[in-house]
Amino acid sequence: MPYLEMKGISKLYSNNLLANNAIDFSVEKNEIHAIIGENGAGKTTLMKILSGLEQPDAGSIFLGGQRVAIRGPLHANRLGIGMVHQHFKLIPEFSVAENVVLGIEPLRGGLFVDTAAAAERIRTVIESHGFSIDPRTKVFALTVGQRQQVEIVRILYRDARLLILDEPTSVLTEQEINKLFDTLRSLQADGKTIIIITHKLREVKEISHRVTVMRKGAVVAVRTTADVDKAELSQLMVGRSVLFQIERSTKACGSPVLALEGVMLKQPGRGRPLLDRINLTVRSCQIVGVAGVSGNGLGELEDVVAGLRKITGGRIFHNGENVSRISAAALRERGLAYVPADRLRRGSSLPSTVMENMIVTNHHRFVRAGFLRGGKIQQFAERLMKGFGIDDGPQVPIGTLSGGNIQKVILARELASTANLLVVSEPTWGLDVASSQFVYEKILAMRGAGAGILFLSSNLDELLGIADTIAVMYRGRIVANLPNDHATSKKMKELIGEYMLGLRDDFASQGRGTPERQT
Amino acid sequence: MRREKRYWDFLASFTGLALTLAISFSLVIALILLLSATPGKAIFAFFIGPFTNSYYLGNMLNAAVPLVFTGLGISIAFKASVFNLGGEGQIYAGGLAATAVCLALPAANGYLGGVVALIAAMVLSGAIAGLSGFFRMQWNADEMISSFLLSAAVLLIVNHFITGPLDDPKNNLLATLPIGPQYALTRIFPPSKLNVSAPFSLVAAAAVFFFMFKSHAGYEMRMCGLNREFSRYGGINVAAYLVLPMILSGALHGLGGGLMILGTYHATIEGYSFGMGWNGIAVALIAKNNPLGVVPAALLFAYLDAGAKAAMLNADVTFEIAAVAQSFIFFFVTAQALYGFVHRRRRA
Repeated sequence: MPYLEMKGISKLYSNNLLANNAIDFSVEKNEIHAIIGENGAGKTTLMKILSGLEQPDAGSIFLGGQRVAIRGPLHANRLGIGMVHQHFKLIPEFSVAENVVLGIEPLRGGLFVDTAAAAERIRTVIESHGFSIDPRTKVFALTVGQRQQVEIVRILYRDARLLILDEPTSVLTEQEINKLFDTLRSLQADGKTIIIITHKLREVKEISHRVTVMRKGAVVAVRTTADVDKAELSQLMVGRSVLFQIERSTKACGSPVLALEGVMLKQPGRGRPLLDRINLTVRSCQIVGVAGVSGNGLGELEDVVAGLRKITGGRIFHNGENVSRISAAALRERGLAYVPADRLRRGSSLPSTVMENMIVTNHHRFVRAGFLRGGKIQQFAERLMKGFGIDDGPQVPIGTLSGGNIQKVILARELASTANLLVVSEPTWGLDVASSQFVYEKILAMRGAGAGILFLSSNLDELLGIADTIAVMYRGRIVANLPNDHATSKKMKELIGEYMLGLRDDFASQGRGTPERQT
Repeated sequence: MRREKRYWDFLASFTGLALTLAISFSLVIALILLLSATPGKAIFAFFIGPFTNSYYLGNMLNAAVPLVFTGLGISIAFKASVFNLGGEGQIYAGGLAATAVCLALPAANGYLGGVVALIAAMVLSGAIAGLSGFFRMQWNADEMISSFLLSAAVLLIVNHFITGPLDDPKNNLLATLPIGPQYALTRIFPPSKLNVSAPFSLVAAAAVFFFMFKSHAGYEMRMCGLNREFSRYGGINVAAYLVLPMILSGALHGLGGGLMILGTYHATIEGYSFGMGWNGIAVALIAKNNPLGVVPAALLFAYLDAGAKAAMLNADVTFEIAAVAQSFIFFFVTAQALYGFVHRRRRA
C-alpha cells in the first residue's frame, strides 16, 4: 500500500482553467519521487492541494492508508506534510531561528518566546542534517542556497515526514544543487519521503527513484527512474501534439533591427549572472524565437530588450544605434511594440477602463491642446475590440474582463501600432485556438510589413510553427541558435527539448563550462 | 447590468457615509446630554446654529474655502499615489508669501498685485512640496516622511518671519503687518467674511477635475498612480509623475493659504492655518480623491467646526466638549473613508 495516494484529484480555477484533471498520484514510503512537466502542466497545483494551500474540487487523499481531508497548511503540517515553495516565504529581517519557529514559537511563562530553547532545538536539527547555517544569522545575510536550507529546516522542525520541494534547483548554482541533493539523500536515508518538482531531466535521473510525468493537467506516465532514458522522458513531457498550420511566406531578411552583443545582467548577491553574454540578432522580416524553461533567463531577456532593466555589460543596438542606456519611453518612440508575459501587472492597469488601457502606449495621438479626445479614443478602442472579438464595453474596468480578453486587449494595442520591432512573450498563453491563430496571423502580418520580431515562448509547438530561427536559453545563456527547418519539425522538437533541459550546449566552450554538461 | 452594479456601489458608499454620520452625531448628542445643563439648547446650537443667521452661515461657507483647496491638493497627490503630508506647512508658507508680496508692493493695483501675491504663494508652496517629490525621484526618499518633516521646519521658519522681520508692533496678536486695503477680496455676503474666493474655489475644483480626467497629463498621472510598472512599460515618464503631482499639490495648498490672507485675515497670523493640512487629507479621503466630491466634503467639515463654535458661544458647552465632539465625527468619518481607501488599494 502506498504511503500517499491521491485519487481522482480535479481542480478547476475560477478562470475556467482545469489545472488538474482526475489525477491519480501515489508515492511509496521513503522514496524520492520526481514530478516533471512543462509550465502549466498542473504540477504545482497538485502539490498545493497536498500541502493544504488549495482545496480540490474532486478526489480524495489517503495518507498511510487513512483518508484525510487537508484543510489548510497548518493541518498539513500536523499530518507531517511540509512544502518548500519555489519563492521562499521568509522574513529577511528575522534571524534563522525566528523564521523557523514563526507560528509555533516555544513559550516561556505562556507569554514570552523562549529564544534559547528555540535556538537549541534548531541547532539539533541543523547539526543532525549537516546544514551549514547559524540559527542566529539574519536571513537577509544568507545566500539563496542557505535560505533554501532555512526553509527545509523549518519543515523538519515541524516534524515533517513528507517533504515537497517545488522546483528547488531553479535558483541554485551547480554546487548548491549538489549540496541540496546530498541533503535530500541523507533525509531519505533518515526515513523521510520526498516529492520534488522539476523541469530538468538530469536532476530526475540523478536524484529520484520514480518519476511521474504530467502534461496539461493530467498524469501521462509513471516510471521507475532507472528504467527510462532522458529522451523518453522528454518525449512524454512535451507530447506529440499537432503542429499549428500557419501560412508562411518566406521573404529575404533585411537589415538587423535588434542586435544584442555580449549582454550581461548580473544581480548583486547571486553568483550566476541572470543573463550571460547573450548574442542575438533580429532582422527585419524575421521572427526569432527564443525557447527556454522558466527561470533560465527568458524573463530577464524580455525586461532588458524592452528597456525596463539596465544591463550590466554588453551592448544593445536598435537599427544600428546603441540603445543600451535609453529608457522604455525612448524605445517606444523608436518603434518598439511589446507584449509582456506578465499581463496583469505590466501589460494592463486592472482598475482602469479598457479605453484607458488601450491608449497607454499611443495616447499622444489623441491629444489636442493638452486634452485627450474622448470620442476619438472610444472609436479607436471599439474598432480594436471588434477586430479581436472582445464583447465587453470600452468603459468597463479591464480587471472585470476574463484573462483571455485582457490579453486580447493588450495584443490589440501592441499589434495596432506601426512598430519596426515587436517583442512578444508568451502571447497565446491562456488563449483559445482560434484567438491564438488570429494572433499568429497578426504577427506574421507585421513581419510581412517589415518588422523584426522577437518571440519568447516556452511553448515549443508555437515556436516551431512560426519562428524563422530558434534560440534556446539555459541558465542565462544561449545554448543553441538553430534555423527552423519546418520539414523536420518533429526532430527539431526533440532536439530543442534537449537543449532546453541542459542536455546539449553548442556554445559550451565559450561558457563557464559546468562539468555535468553533456553534448 | 454593469451600470446597475455601479449604481449599487455608489448607493452602498453613500449609505456607508450616512450611517457613519448618524452614529457619530448620536455620540455627540449623547455627550452633550451627559455634560450639558441645557442639552436642548446645546444640541440646537451645535446642529442648527450655523444656519441661524447670515453671519454664521457666511463664515461657515468661508471656512470651507481653504479646505476645498487643501482637499484638491491632497486628491491630486493621492491620485498619483504620492503622499503629501506637508499640507500644514505649505498653506502657512503660501499665506506668508502672499503677505510678503503685498507688503513689498504697498501701492500696487489691487488686482494685479493680488494675482502676483497668489502666484508667489503657489510658487513657494509648490517648490516646498516639489522638493519632496524630487528627493523621491532622485534618491527614492519616502516623500510622505520628507514632506512631513519639511513642513515641520517650514512652520518654524514662517513663525520667525511673523514674529521677526514682518511683525506688526501695533498689534497684540502675533501677526505680520496688515496688507494694503486694495488687496482685500470683495465680500459677497456681509456681515460675514465670505468673499469672492468661494466661487473661485468652485472653479478650481472644476479645473482640477478636468485636469485629472480629461487632460493628457492627468491621464498619465492617474495611470502612474494606479500602476507604475504598467505606465513605465507603456512609455510614460514615471519619474516626472513623482514630482509634478507634488508640485501641483503644494501649489494648491499655497493658493488656499494666499486666498485666506487676501480674503479673510489681511495679515499672516501665527497659527492661522492650524489643522487645515490634516483636515485637507480627511476631506480628500471622504471625497475619494474626486475633485467634485471635495466641495461637499469640505462643507461638511466646515459645518462641524461652525457647529462646535456655535455651541460654545450660545450654550454651556466648553471648548473641550466641543473639541471632543468634533473629534468623534472626524475620527469616524475619516476611519470609514480610510477603510474604503485601504480596502481598494489592497485589491488593486
